[in-house]
Amino acid sequence: MIRVEDLEKHFGPLHVLRGISLEVQKGEVLVIIGPSGSGKSTLLRCINLLIEPDSGRVFLDGVQVNRRDIRPEWVRQQVGMVFQSFNLFAHLTALENVTLGPIRVLGNDPKVAEAEGRKLLARVGLADKWNVYPAQLSGGQQQRVAIARALAMNPKAMLFDEPTSALDPEYIREVLDVMAALARDGMTMIVVTHEMGFAGTVAKRILFMDAGRIIEEGSPEEIFQHPQQERTRTFVGKILR
Amino acid sequence: MAPISQERSRSRWRILDVVAAAVVTIGAIAYLADVLALRWGLNVAYISASYPGYLKAAWISVYVTTISYVLGMGIGFALGWVRSTQARPLVKVLAARRSEAASATAADGGRSDRLFLGTLMLYGFKYYVHRAADAYVAIIRGTPLLVQIVFVWSAVIVYFPRLDPLLQGLLSGIIALTANTGGYQSEIFRAGIHTVHSGQVEAARAMGLSRWGAMRYVVLPQAIRLVIPPLTNEYIGLLKASSLLIAVGSIAELTTYGRFEAFHTAHVFEAFALVSGIYLLITVPASKLIEWVERRFRVPGLGIQAPRTARV
Repeated sequence: MIRVEDLEKHFGPLHVLRGISLEVQKGEVLVIIGPSGSGKSTLLRCINLLIEPDSGRVFLDGVQVNRRDIRPEWVRQQVGMVFQSFNLFAHLTALENVTLGPIRVLGNDPKVAEAEGRKLLARVGLADKWNVYPAQLSGGQQQRVAIARALAMNPKAMLFDEPTSALDPEYIREVLDVMAALARDGMTMIVVTHEMGFAGTVAKRILFMDAGRIIEEGSPEEIFQHPQQERTRTFVGKILR
Repeated sequence: MAPISQERSRSRWRILDVVAAAVVTIGAIAYLADVLALRWGLNVAYISASYPGYLKAAWISVYVTTISYVLGMGIGFALGWVRSTQARPLVKVLAARRSEAASATAADGGRSDRLFLGTLMLYGFKYYVHRAADAYVAIIRGTPLLVQIVFVWSAVIVYFPRLDPLLQGLLSGIIALTANTGGYQSEIFRAGIHTVHSGQVEAARAMGLSRWGAMRYVVLPQAIRLVIPPLTNEYIGLLKASSLLIAVGSIAELTTYGRFEAFHTAHVFEAFALVSGIYLLITVPASKLIEWVERRFRVPGLGIQAPRTARV
């Protein structure tokens, strides 16, 4: 579904990604962990071409997409993204947030998009909040609307960039539950998170990144119980306390 | 909810407030009327006989101001948008391109060099447009409007000497005011666009909206709510600034007309009292109107904070 080969990215003098390669199968959930500044967010943004990689290749369904003759918008329509800080459109209600993409990008009929949008809001447990502005929702509710907004584009895969890091502890559960339900429904997901419970139960594979490189890769058990690399051990030790 | 007794005493205070305000206002007006009409001997007969001429002149002021304001908004928005984006000088683009080429592998040959020249030209163009816009705003904001008006007027006289003086004046007035407000409005738009959180644009682009789509559906609706107050101030300021067209002299806008009347009828105080009054009659309701517009289009969490009550 998604394949990345030898990805390199510099920000000025910073070498953020140093030859990243990975592959995610259809319906698979891949969790990426690693210390801040290790390039996780940049990697996600290179996959949906929000950031243009310096070199290397990104494939979606076997097609190389980081080419000049492919519009990045076309790629982004097919890969949904959920942000750490929600980034809901502040001037639109929950339902309008969800329907903006289908109406303006896909050109769907507003009536149809609205019906779909209500269904999606119901799916993330917010059917009654359709007419509420983001500022009136709790963090957890905002993030669930953001997930519904990404789903509205009917994406082939979803990218989650630390979706629970900005949340108060009491709201983390509800967002993770929605994500776990998505995974059960067979959505292909790449999740940057430090929620070990989620990583352990939902993900098949965990990838540890540090300083722009993939240090170690394995099942949750391998990474959490028997890490091979010293750096992985240190990091996992810190997170699991 | 406050207890009823507290609620009632609060409304009693409010009534007292209103009464006090009314007394002060009426007293002030009565005193002013006394000073102006009785002690100074402001000629009420002159005012009531000749105010239509002033209103007509005020209409010309509003007309010139509005045309300039709308044209200037086009300039201001375009420049504001350009100046809110980042542009890199060609040297840096070339350097980045070189390091990119050095690290690119042979398998990356799909990127052709014929696109390279196009990219280069685009970046260079964008950068110079950016710098030119900066220079324009610096010039407009760094020189007096009166100088700009006289400058444009002289240019118009030199290049269109045969034109009717009235048209010359109108043309130079509109050009100067448009150029001026364009520069100032670009600052307003730049700030407004800049204030919209970068995460909003990222989210919009991430769902597949184009650059323009993100601007049209996400940034602008938020930015407009932020720039309504400063844009209104700009209109009011421009209306007042249009009085500087007195330097041109051939446009019968309000101030010019007032001076003409003052000198030709010797009713100096009456003339400028009328002129001031009419300016006030336009500017005060304008700011009230915009307060209403602001309230009407307010969205929770955007701009001035609204009470946190659900709308469901």
